[in-house]
Amino acid sequence: MTQPSVTGNVTCLGCGCACDDIEVVVASERIVDARNACQLGRQWFGDGQVPSIIRVDGADVGLEQAVGSAATRLCEAARPLVYLAPGLSCEAQREAVAVADLLRARLDSITSATALIGILAGQEHGSASATLGELRNRADVLLFWGVDLEARYPRFASRYAPGPPGMFTPEGRRSRTVIAVDIERATATVDSDVRVAIEAADELAMLTALEACVRSPDASNNLTSLAERSRNTARELATALLAARYTALVYDAEPDDRSVRTSARFEALTSLGQALNDRTRCAALALRAGGNRSGADSVLVAQTGYPCAIDFARGFPRYVPHDGTVLDILRDRDVDAALVVGDPMGISSDLAHSLSNVRSVVIGPHASDAAWGARGVIIDTGIDGIHVSGTALRTDDVPLPLRATLSAPRSTAETIRAVASNVRRTLLNAHDIESKALGS
Amino acid sequence: MNQLRIADGSVYDPANAVDGDARDICIEDGRIVASLPDSAPRLDARGMVVMPGGVDMHCHVASSSVNVARRLLPEEHSRHPATAPLLDSATEAPRSGADGTVPTTFTTGYRYAGLGYTTVFDAAVAPIMARSAHSQLDDTPIVDGGFFALLGNDEYLLRLVDSGDRERAREYAAWVLASVGAYAIKIVNPAGVELWKRGTKERTDLDTALGSSRVTPRAILETLVDAVNTLQLPHAAHIHCNNLGLPGNSATTLATMAALDGRRAHFTHLQFHSYGTTPEGRWRSAAREIMDYVNTHQHVSGDVGQVMFGPATTITADAPVEYLLYKSSGRKWANVDIELETGCGVVPHEYRDSNAVAALQWAIGLELFLLSSDPWRLVLSTDHPNGGSFKSYPELIRLLMDRTYRDEQIARVGKKLLAGSALTDGLGREYSLSEIAIITRAGPARMLGLRDKGHLGVGADADVTIYMPDDNRATMFSTPRYVVKGGVLTVEEGHLRRAPTGHRLYVRPSYDQSVTHDIERYFDQYGTVRFANYPVAGLRGSPLPVGAR
Ligand code: SF4
Ligand SMILES: [Zn+2]
Repeated sequence: MTQPSVTGNVTCLGCGCACDDIEVVVASERIVDARNACQLGRQWFGDGQVPSIIRVDGADVGLEQAVGSAATRLCEAARPLVYLAPGLSCEAQREAVAVADLLRARLDSITSATALIGILAGQEHGSASATLGELRNRADVLLFWGVDLEARYPRFASRYAPGPPGMFTPEGRRSRTVIAVDIERATATVDSDVRVAIEAADELAMLTALEACVRSPDASNNLTSLAERSRNTARELATALLAARYTALVYDAEPDDRSVRTSARFEALTSLGQALNDRTRCAALALRAGGNRSGADSVLVAQTGYPCAIDFARGFPRYVPHDGTVLDILRDRDVDAALVVGDPMGISSDLAHSLSNVRSVVIGPHASDAAWGARGVIIDTGIDGIHVSGTALRTDDVPLPLRATLSAPRSTAETIRAVASNVRRTLLNAHDIESKALGS
Repeated sequence: MNQLRIADGSVYDPANAVDGDARDICIEDGRIVASLPDSAPRLDARGMVVMPGGVDMHCHVASSSVNVARRLLPEEHSRHPATAPLLDSATEAPRSGADGTVPTTFTTGYRYAGLGYTTVFDAAVAPIMARSAHSQLDDTPIVDGGFFALLGNDEYLLRLVDSGDRERAREYAAWVLASVGAYAIKIVNPAGVELWKRGTKERTDLDTALGSSRVTPRAILETLVDAVNTLQLPHAAHIHCNNLGLPGNSATTLATMAALDGRRAHFTHLQFHSYGTTPEGRWRSAAREIMDYVNTHQHVSGDVGQVMFGPATTITADAPVEYLLYKSSGRKWANVDIELETGCGVVPHEYRDSNAVAALQWAIGLELFLLSSDPWRLVLSTDHPNGGSFKSYPELIRLLMDRTYRDEQIARVGKKLLAGSALTDGLGREYSLSEIAIITRAGPARMLGLRDKGHLGVGADADVTIYMPDDNRATMFSTPRYVVKGGVLTVEEGHLRRAPTGHRLYVRPSYDQSVTHDIERYFDQYGTVRFANYPVAGLRGSPLPVGAR
């Protein structure tokens, strides 16, 4: 066994916290430790072993042939889809958008299935937010709204808030008031000073009441939609929030089915965060899960103007969040070939099931583990952030470097680029033949 | 050998005192050369106007904040889809996107080049977000680009201001620039953004204290302006004064200029800082007072930040201003406090010619242009997309060059709304083509210290724009016939044909390495990003020189 080597300041993509203080220990080409990482982070790093399989329709082939087949199949499709699974660096995401544009494809990412409702609320009303360091350094009152930090964002509390001391919160946890709101089974798993439990059916009324109290102190007298006890709760919470110099309202952008995921709920959260700024300062943070999801949104927005659910069919990006998400179009069978990039293990089982009916090209780490892709083109790549360096965004869009600690035969980004240049050549040739035919 | 002779055009190259003379411009391998063999490819520019490529020194096109705005505007993007240009097949694949007030990255590059602009700077990037700015610039084709790093509300800097350690402050500023690949230092509402983050919503005046009485906008400005000048950075400190957009703010602007008297400094989007008040407390133009100062103080430079009627999107690090705008307009509002560095606010906006404030803003910008005695020191900007889109520059040029047209527009807006504006008492000046060449390319290039841009002398970058003269100057400037970028013919016969990759413009000033120990300790104490992960590596191209010319 060779001497273990340690790489410091490595960014973890196990969740949106994107902790960048991980020390990765490698021995004999394996990750043997990911110091400072939480359980979820250790799982994300794993031992760094990835398969390196390249197949077309179940047969092992060379890379060039697979890339060629991928391009041909995508070019032949009438309604191709490019789908960004989690686990891509921003560099790989940029390549993926380029190929979707070229193919006039549908383009979507994990976001449409998990965070779209909240994004639409933000697009309608805006939002008052901050990067996580502002929470660390300023937030003296934190309201955790049904967010399961322990399971989903394990180091949030110790790295950002309420744990660590900050510039205006010198005593760390003791400088802050932490309010946890449990919405039935959606428990806000954080060490709190105040804990409030509300029924899921009352959540929206409670948010509305809170906002009313924040906007006008008199409002608290006629919150008729709430029972007396809840009215008192709303008043008390509003008082606590308004006592803050800087409040943080933290919730999950991608809550699981323990929460009610309606647009009204997200609009109410957004609106409360904005309203608090009339009386104090407030930042609302909607947390995103792992695999550089905020990065995907950001890259898609920069290049297309929209975060997900895009259709390039008319030669420009169209935003189709209401009927053109990947689930919609697969259900309507409006896709005849799919290029799935990123980690296919990050795809929901619903989606995986639908994808199994479509000719697919899967490019990403563990592509060969995706049973639904076995009949198509499969190209295993290294993991961005483990085998491949690049950039990823934290849940608050702060960009961080990804450091490679192991090597892999190929990266997702370069493989997508190879497919794209094949696609381009094919399209240009087709165009040439067409114009010659027209000319003769 | 990549050669091109642009033959016989009327050349406007004010930096080299060429004013419409018929000349050949010779290009070889991306640079202007003295001569070429007769066999070199020719582009016949007879009857056409030849200028250096445009230089936009202040716009918002590539930052995390611009992306906040892009995300906020799906409805606008839907109304303005952008198909991919029909580029020559041998080049990079063309890209589609969305247009509107905040176009997507690729579309931004195409549109700028389509207007004959070949260099752009994003004027406000939070250093911690620099990676995102670089990647957006990477996706903005054709133009050479860079950005300014926001430092006027940086907590570490404020601490050094508090302790009076100006040398360390200077080294810190150099370290930030070098670490994140920025080109210049930007100061936005010094102390005012931090006050907003601490819960204050009042005005910030030059001597408003931020915590300690030693930390004031004045002290921050002096510290950073001296730092920039001692470091001999190519561009002056780029200053967005306190109290942007508020009536009576001209007093703040003039006090700021006076506080920095004798020091090289750039005052940006002056239009937004030139508002007086009447005795009855109404808004009035203070353009004359501002220009009296600028005209008589050689160290001062500025850009206008013209307001153009129509839709705009306000994007600024001056987050408290956006909060006020949100409250007064009722439009949607996005805010992002950016940790220990700065703020970010976005509110969509519409400047209506029937609105008294908008009309006055429009008039004040024009007054600034028309009262300026030195085009080299007051240049064109709309603070894109804050005052209007960069795509409205041709219309703005028409307003400056064509008095008849301008008078029509003034009449349309109406004397009532423009009461008290110098425009209504006969500012008859018309900008010449040479002056336009100064305020859109030669001037900004000189202010930025870009030695190889904004002119067509031997050794300059071969960035050249060729226009077909037209009495309608808006038509002339909106559709250049040819645009050469770095020697590559990008626009041909009015059509975008090639989209080469632009260069990154940044500086890497040296600094005393010993300052980093304390910065690292500060990161450990208050940061959420590791010190080692803050610097951005692997930028395109090499840094531009810093130091005496
Ligand atoms: S909190 Fe998230 S980012 Fe941090 S180590 Fe755990 S999984 Fe990784
Ligand atoms: Zn600006």
